[in-house]
Amino acid sequence: MTPKTAMTPKTIEPNRRRESGIDYKDVDYLSRFIGPQGQILSRRRSGFTAQRQKDLKQAIKRARHLALMPFVG
Amino acid sequence: MSNLYEGMFVLDNKVVRQGWRAAKAIVTGILAKHEANTITARRWDERRLAYSIKGRGRATYMICYFELAKDAGPALNRSLELNDAVLRYLITRVDAVPATEAELASREESDDFVVPAPPVEDSPTPVAAAEPEPEAESKPKLEEAEAEIAEEAAPAETLEPVAAAATPEPAVEAVATEEPKTEEGA
Repeated sequence: MTPKTAMTPKTIEPNRRRESGIDYKDVDYLSRFIGPQGQILSRRRSGFTAQRQKDLKQAIKRARHLALMPFVG
Repeated sequence: MSNLYEGMFVLDNKVVRQGWRAAKAIVTGILAKHEANTITARRWDERRLAYSIKGRGRATYMICYFELAKDAGPALNRSLELNDAVLRYLITRVDAVPATEAELASREESDDFVVPAPPVEDSPTPVAAAEPEPEAESKPKLEEAEAEIAEEAAPAETLEPVAAAATPEPAVEAVATEEPKTEEGA
């Protein structure tokens, strides 16, 4: 049986001081949390809390709707 | 009872080129039609779209804060969707207008403010130029295909008599062997 190892989050320096919600207009900030093919990074990769990850998802989807960010690529 | 909303509108650059004031009036006019109280309305940015919308590669974004009655949302959405100048829109509910928004909007209202004209549309490959090439190629392909069909049809005719001549003989033999059995059974 393999020993259990602590899972270390691969954070991308999330701005933890941001108390306000994530803004869909802040494309430069949002683009740090999407992968090379445009997918939203997981919580493990982003290092966000559950609530903040939901806010991130909502903001990215809004930015995609307005063609500020791509769906793919 | 009304709520405060933030609206982001993606406007067609063709309309914006005719004048920013006129383009802005289209959106504010729709809001006024639905009895919305427009607090601020200003040009947010002009940029390349992440993906083309209705064949447009670039568009102008307009941000607007307004108060709207709760029941008027669906009617406003319908009016915006029917308008050709508005490529996309997003209306979100907000708690308060940002502090810097009033200043930025008032700056746009001043006479010194000049809205830069949108750059020339660098849309993807023009449709008219792409069509003739396949047509020119398709004619030789059709001729080649017809020639191939004619070649294939000719040997098939020559083979048919051979196959027809070969198959009947065993069939006759099989019938001949089966017939006596049936007669014996009867």
